[in-house]
Amino acid sequence: MKIFSEGAEAKIYSTDVLGQPALVKVREAKAYRVKKLDEEIRSSRTKTEARTLQRAHKLGVRVPRILAVGKFSIYLEQLGGKLMRDSEHHAKTFVELGKMLGMMHNGNIIHGDFTPANVLLDGSRVALIDFGLAEVTVSIEEKALDLLLMKRSVDPKMYAAFEKSYASTCKNAAEIIERLAEVEKRGRYQVRTLV
Amino acid sequence: MVVLGIESSAHTFGVGVVDNGRVLSNEKEMYKIGTTGMIPAKAAEFHVKNAPEVIARAMERANVGPKDITGVGYTRGPGIGPCLQVGELSAKSVADELGVKIVPVHHGVCHIEIVRALSGLKNPIVLYVSGGNSQILKRMEKPKPHYHILGETFDIGVGNMLDSFAREIKLDPAWGSSVEKTALGGDFIDLPYTVKGMDFSFTGLQTRATELAKEGKSNRDLCYSMQEVAYAMLCEATERALLLTKSTELCVAGGVAQSTKLKNMLVEVAKEHGAKFGYAGNEYNADNGAMIAFVAEMMLKKGVHSRIEDCDIEQKYRTDQMVLP
Repeated sequence: MKIFSEGAEAKIYSTDVLGQPALVKVREAKAYRVKKLDEEIRSSRTKTEARTLQRAHKLGVRVPRILAVGKFSIYLEQLGGKLMRDSEHHAKTFVELGKMLGMMHNGNIIHGDFTPANVLLDGSRVALIDFGLAEVTVSIEEKALDLLLMKRSVDPKMYAAFEKSYASTCKNAAEIIERLAEVEKRGRYQVRTLV
Repeated sequence: MVVLGIESSAHTFGVGVVDNGRVLSNEKEMYKIGTTGMIPAKAAEFHVKNAPEVIARAMERANVGPKDITGVGYTRGPGIGPCLQVGELSAKSVADELGVKIVPVHHGVCHIEIVRALSGLKNPIVLYVSGGNSQILKRMEKPKPHYHILGETFDIGVGNMLDSFAREIKLDPAWGSSVEKTALGGDFIDLPYTVKGMDFSFTGLQTRATELAKEGKSNRDLCYSMQEVAYAMLCEATERALLLTKSTELCVAGGVAQSTKLKNMLVEVAKEHGAKFGYAGNEYNADNGAMIAFVAEMMLKKGVHSRIEDCDIEQKYRTDQMVLP
């Protein structure tokens, strides 16, 4: 199998499933972790990722479809496009992104690593990828952290467009945005916009 | 250029002398924490008592006299207010008395810079871990040269977590090394593991371990598991930073960098990605004056210094707020 991309969390290989091009995300063992902790992290994250991806899809969020799941691996549909991190940013993208995160949060899924490195752009189509740190939770704080990660990764104007669209989709957006302001005041979390 | 550096952000009063990047002396006196933890007023009092002697000793060991000194650096922050003030005042008196330049510096940046320079790295991903701080950083040039914080703890520093837990189960100070010793031969128990991208949190881990200790789980297994979990969290976040920035260098600095266990785990991370790994001897990972002198000299060579009347302390001085030389 050819390596497609490598993250800290997992390696992604190009493969095919029933003749269709696909990706397989494999959580490989980390030499620095004790075996028991290592296997626990890898298998529980694989399970959670599959569960949250499936749930996001049902909520109408554009994500890669799951083709098969193993103990430490997930076979995924290969979506076209380019990472938002490596693309020019347009307000329209942020409006769509705000809507998508709003839908996810309405369904109580948090992404956990919600940055431009985990958004795929294909023309005007936006998809969320890498649910490696996603969780099912009602926690207002966790939802606020999704906003925070995006806020400190992008231009403030673009973030404003994102937040506006998020607020019109997400049912308890007011409470979540209020919590975000609180979280930022804690000092540890300063906005660390990449410059 | 001979520069004196004064460090007093916590329990150590340290003075070092550096000449053109070469450490000539690195002297210190440490306030004994006992079983209570640090009492700020008492630590400051200790520093006041020891300051003149440690400064004199550092100069004597370096074999320099008052006329040889070009400048004096001191820790502006972060740290404990009353302790920082002693270093600030000592530096001001030295600058005034000798008529030399004064340079306030950031404690964490000094830990990082001396490790980076001694290990010959250019622009590494830095894991800076101490009692109060746990951050992942990389130097960036814009808008002004600074250490950009890629990730950090959401709550307490990893060192504080280890210290608090060690006090809870009544280990002897120094707690970090006591935990490492107690952990030998332990078995793994599941504990909360919290990583969010390149950020992480330690309070959940601390609370759960403390609960389990009260329920009678063995100190050995808990110390072992706490270290494994906490350091694995740091390694995972560091690994993510390494990949995200496509860096080929990695180093570890700060008090917790004294842990052999953590260094060994980071070596694995670096090896996996073909990155160079840098670290310094423990005399530079523990709080010390030489690192302060080292960075103060870098600043002076770039012509950067302050007026005595503008010098102050900043307890919550963040690592990304200091403009690098």
